[in-house]
Amino acid sequence: MGLLTVLKKLKQKEKEMRILMLGLDNAGKTTILKRFNGEDIDTISPTLGFNIITLEHRGFKLNVWDVGGQKSLRSYWRNYFECTDGLIWVVDSADKRRLLDCKKELHQLLDEERLAGATLLVFANKQDLAGALSFEEIRDVLDLTSIKTHHWQIVGCSAVTGSHLLEGIDWLIDDISARIFSLD
Amino acid sequence: MSLVRNNGADMVSGQEGVCQGEETEPVVITPDDVLKMTRISDGFLCSPEANIYDIDFTRFKIRDLETGTVLFEIAKPQSGVIFIIPDSVETPTDEEEPADPNAGRFIRYEFTPNFLKLKAVGSTVEFRVGAQPVNKFRMIERHFFRDKLLKTFDFEFGFCIPFSSNTCEHIYEFPPLAPDLIEEMINHPFETRSDSFYFVDNHLIMHNKADYAYNGGLGSSVSSSAGDGQEVDK
Repeated sequence: MGLLTVLKKLKQKEKEMRILMLGLDNAGKTTILKRFNGEDIDTISPTLGFNIITLEHRGFKLNVWDVGGQKSLRSYWRNYFECTDGLIWVVDSADKRRLLDCKKELHQLLDEERLAGATLLVFANKQDLAGALSFEEIRDVLDLTSIKTHHWQIVGCSAVTGSHLLEGIDWLIDDISARIFSLD
Repeated sequence: MSLVRNNGADMVSGQEGVCQGEETEPVVITPDDVLKMTRISDGFLCSPEANIYDIDFTRFKIRDLETGTVLFEIAKPQSGVIFIIPDSVETPTDEEEPADPNAGRFIRYEFTPNFLKLKAVGSTVEFRVGAQPVNKFRMIERHFFRDKLLKTFDFEFGFCIPFSSNTCEHIYEFPPLAPDLIEEMINHPFETRSDSFYFVDNHLIMHNKADYAYNGGLGSSVSSSAGDGQEVDK
């Protein structure tokens, strides 16, 4: 039994999940976070560090970490990998110019050993914008079907309207709990 | 969040003799030490200078989850030096000198009795970090009414990016309190208190205190509200 397994067994007591939300800057990570905890989304500025929320949802204690996505901050992402159960990768579906950059950063994360046990949820955000690519198009550009190392799912959503956010989060929680809380 | 009910008076060893405002460093305080404490500490368990990481709390906010109402908010001005402490003259600690070095480490909250009837609140802190990266940043907060432990928060932020600005909101349900305890807490303002301990790599680097009244709006002798914060009757 590896160390990770031991840690996960310990978490079982409180049914605690650690969720890390990453993505390029301006993808909408903080807006998603604030939508999720019911806060005002009118005054969001670039995250120059992290935003954490801890809350109970469906009987689980969720610790959600939203870490800033600016280029200068990305080298610090690795400091937040440890013990992550779920990775949410947020994509600005209308930012076609940076989709290859987006793909590169995502696949680098998936190679990280410390994220090996994490479920991946991709939010194809900003579906409310006219120029947004569909979630199927985002799936293809990011080459998600090539991922064999992680459970993954892509959901088209809009943090501004709130559409499909809960659907994505619930899939993530279901997948994580099926993996780590249903062992016995 | 764990809710532990405990009575007793044993103190963390080495704490005796640490007086409020005294600058001398006591023995090393560990997270285990403060988790074992059975009442509020007599003084601050580290000096203001222990904060070698320049961690700076810039906002505290409490909101009611059901209505979204902000119940309390105090924010530090961008260029400010320390917190404006509401009602510092009324603090029960005899610290009335104008140059009180502990002024920035104490907050007084005044709420109406309805606060104790809230089901779920969100409690936000916002802080900045100095030039050094911070590892294993951990907050342990202990809330007591007299010698009764009401609530313990123990949360590890982990790593903080140099020069970063960070927020953390804990959304939690109030621990169920017996009606007679609630009445006692309303009738005895400022006997509900909390210690907030902040550790980096298991070293205590900050210690803040707060006290609480829940008799706001009841026409008692306490009339001032919490400084820059707003207090809203639900």
